[in-house]
Amino acid sequence: MTFQSPMPSREFLWDIFRRVDKDRSGYISADELQQALSNGTWNPFNPETVRLMIGMFDKQNRGVISFEDFGALWKYVSDWQNCFRSFDRDNSGNIDRQELKNALTAFGYRLSDDLINIMVQKFDRFGRGTILFDDFIQCCITLYTLTSAFRHYDTDQDGVITIHYEQFLKMVFGLKCWP
Amino acid sequence: MYTQPGYYNQPGYGGQAGQLEMGHGPYPSIGAGGTVSPQVQQWFNAVDKDRSGFITAIELKSALVNGQGQNFSETACNLMIGMFDKDRSGHINLEEFDKLYTYINQWLAVFKTYDKDQSGHIDEQELSQALLQMGFRFSQEFISFLTKRCDPKGGKISVDNFIVLCVQVQRFTEAFRVRDTQQNGTVTIGFEDFLKVALSCSI
Repeated sequence: MTFQSPMPSREFLWDIFRRVDKDRSGYISADELQQALSNGTWNPFNPETVRLMIGMFDKQNRGVISFEDFGALWKYVSDWQNCFRSFDRDNSGNIDRQELKNALTAFGYRLSDDLINIMVQKFDRFGRGTILFDDFIQCCITLYTLTSAFRHYDTDQDGVITIHYEQFLKMVFGLKCWP
Repeated sequence: MYTQPGYYNQPGYGGQAGQLEMGHGPYPSIGAGGTVSPQVQQWFNAVDKDRSGFITAIELKSALVNGQGQNFSETACNLMIGMFDKDRSGHINLEEFDKLYTYINQWLAVFKTYDKDQSGHIDEQELSQALLQMGFRFSQEFISFLTKRCDPKGGKISVDNFIVLCVQVQRFTEAFRVRDTQQNGTVTIGFEDFLKVALSCSI
């Protein structure tokens, strides 16, 4: 399954970049990116998702996005948008429990209803029992990070690992930035 | 409760007995409520900017400043509101705020005792001491990992990050202990259960 969108032209990207870069610093900050992105409601875009995305594409590790990094980021957001829309079957602008389950199954996960419930509860920022676009990205990135950490130890691929206390803590601690 | 040899006191196995329980070093706990003092009422009114009768994480954030002169992190405020917001409404009322007020003050006091050089932040060495006194003995490498998680460049841990860090260590350790049936500092854990712990104990 793929949600690839084509890379837009440099002119197109430059136009967007300039509009997002409100203070004309030549870089897009987390605040600028947050303001530019929409989750389909009046609520601000999930700041944690913004941080995760900047962390992924900020090659120089300065906490901002240069124009060189911007194309990849733009494409990433577009791909997620396609993905989100394809699982939002009822076009409600959010993903409910069943839609999340379908999405994760399509990604190759087999998770119990109990765990799906935990995920909805965890990533549903507004207590509506559904997940918005930005929260969906956070949810998927988090799941991916945890799965990678688990796989690293699951060398025989039987879905069970034996780990020490500090190893365990490192795996679960890597999840979220605090500041 | 945990009278077994304290394997959490050592990076590997073994270690001294009896250091496991919380409360050996200063560590705040959620106390019982009482009548709300006028001072707390005043604070509540000041923090409750929109006069809704409730305090949200965002209102709390704008009211709290750490030793670096920055507002508390969103994560810290979400964590603390979440602890006292029993009906999961996303905000807390006066009675809940009263408990939160006590809780935060306890943390501030704890932080001061560990901030030996009174710098307003805790460094790697001070964190190591703090966790040790709370009953956690980690390897230097893990302490370093935690410090970098809080402040990748400066290695300075502000009070809000310190609160988040300690609460996370405590929650994850608790989840680990339950699964460490042999009490040897190792767990055998399946993928689903691992996800469950990671998701439900993290903030």
